[in-house]
Amino acid sequence: MTETTTERSYRAPTRRRGSRQAEVTRLLPNGILVVVLVVVCAFIAIPLIYVVLSSLNSDLGVARGEIIPSSWSLQNYADIWTTIGLGKGIANSLIVAGSAGVVSAAVALATAYVFVRFRFFGRVTIMRGLLVVQSVPGTLMVLPVFVVFASAGSYLGITVIGTLWGLFLTYLTFTLPFSTWVMVTYLRGLPKELEEAARIDGASNLMILLKIVLPLSWPGVMVSAIFAFLLGWNDVIFASVMTNSDTQTAAIALQVFGSTQQNGTLPLYGQMMAASLVCAAPVIALFLIFQRYLVSGLTSGAVKG
Amino acid sequence: MIPGGALMIFVIVVPILLGLYMSVLTLDQYTLRQWLSAPFAGPGNYIEAVTDSPLLKSFWISLSFAVLSTAAAVPLGIAAALATQNYFPGRAVMRSVFLIPFVMPSFVVATVWRTMFQPDGVIVNGLHSVGITSGLWLNGPNSYWTLVFVEVWASWPFIYLLALAGLQSVDHDVHEASALDGASWWPKLRYVIFPYLKGPVALACVIATLNHINNFALPFVLFGIPAPDDVQTLPILTYSTTFESFRFGLGAAMAFSSLMLLAIPLIIYVRAVKLDVDEGADK
Repeated sequence: MTETTTERSYRAPTRRRGSRQAEVTRLLPNGILVVVLVVVCAFIAIPLIYVVLSSLNSDLGVARGEIIPSSWSLQNYADIWTTIGLGKGIANSLIVAGSAGVVSAAVALATAYVFVRFRFFGRVTIMRGLLVVQSVPGTLMVLPVFVVFASAGSYLGITVIGTLWGLFLTYLTFTLPFSTWVMVTYLRGLPKELEEAARIDGASNLMILLKIVLPLSWPGVMVSAIFAFLLGWNDVIFASVMTNSDTQTAAIALQVFGSTQQNGTLPLYGQMMAASLVCAAPVIALFLIFQRYLVSGLTSGAVKG
Repeated sequence: MIPGGALMIFVIVVPILLGLYMSVLTLDQYTLRQWLSAPFAGPGNYIEAVTDSPLLKSFWISLSFAVLSTAAAVPLGIAAALATQNYFPGRAVMRSVFLIPFVMPSFVVATVWRTMFQPDGVIVNGLHSVGITSGLWLNGPNSYWTLVFVEVWASWPFIYLLALAGLQSVDHDVHEASALDGASWWPKLRYVIFPYLKGPVALACVIATLNHINNFALPFVLFGIPAPDDVQTLPILTYSTTFESFRFGLGAAMAFSSLMLLAIPLIIYVRAVKLDVDEGADK
């Protein structure tokens, strides 16, 4: 659907051939074009500039509503690692979201391959289902999972809530359908002929998947892994009920800055802003590096947690 | 390949079915640990959710919030797409910058705006210095508008992306023809370009509305729990019923009731997406 057209828009040649051509395809008069660009950029930039400036400010300065810090300091960036344990949170996020990314991409490749290359009863229904579960609210998934995990202690004698692997399992509930859908749209574009040739040579399904499909679909696998990772990194709802102070993710650690008050009555505003930047930076960097591949996935929707 | 399907059923289908079962149980903090033997409540939770809880109010809050946020993002997204369609020096950078609000994690977006909207914070002070006295932004009736505003800030690039895809499908001949006819920019947009955008932007609106309704992280981080009454969207209400009041059965009933709101955009979305290889091949 939309993936291919969007990709095209990003790969289209950027330069027009001459000024006459530019004049023909012009959509907005220069004046309006400049106004639109300035307004949109200002709208985007205001909070971004603010968070950078505030991360260099004192808690009091941020609380008083200063834009330009009255005293500049990089201290916040040093303190965030010791006061709340943001480092631990980021490490937890990397472990859980990273393994969710790798596992979903691997499972998604195999599952999507079956959906694309085999005909079986209920196939289209299951594919519709994949789209539907992507839109099932997280609150609906987190509740039964929480109840089952909480009772695992009394029924089976194991503790799941508060463990990283428990959180990892819950992340699969939203990363798997998304990754599978990304792979379905990717594999549809691959030619069948190589696989058919391999099959004539007597290769098994597994061999074909590993030796033919996997090497051809690396970009798709990377995209589905990166998206699964980002979905996990951005998650708030599962982490807020499934973790404790030891296993909290970066998203939860960031909230703790706002509710922690040191030597007085103010939350740690300055550090909270510095930590916000630290939490957003890897995501934005990852996105800008792989932009060309990721834009197509963005348009299929589910990036926002 | 079989394990893939089995894992999928295990982590997705099983929880949904369990949730459905839990919604007809009297499940609270006392019965949680032995939930399999929790008393059966029949449709009791659903009746309570509709008649004796803020569910209906939350329903309207979610609906109006989602529709308003989408409606506000559309002109912004289309304008941004029109402005970056044709080449100019720095356009590539501009296109990347436009996507930053969308790729920033929701919890970071909400944290930053919450700090800006503090009482005595930078926004209240800024408005005060130009002579506007504003009340509280994170509490009371204004909180609703704060939520809409921040949601628009974070989500409009999605409309922009699909509008850009729509613009790309306009053939060069079409531009030539409207130039020959001497159409000036507004009639050209209105009668020539916008019809091309209708399809992709409509699809974008449906998906964006779905995402607004489901957005938990943004209101949760922006206002905390308990959230002010005016921003108690369906996910927030379900969450606080479940994990603050520990009414798990009632929460499950609320979660399933809120699917009603998702149903209409979801059906449109699923029908609009090409599912099959054969359908996709003739594109």
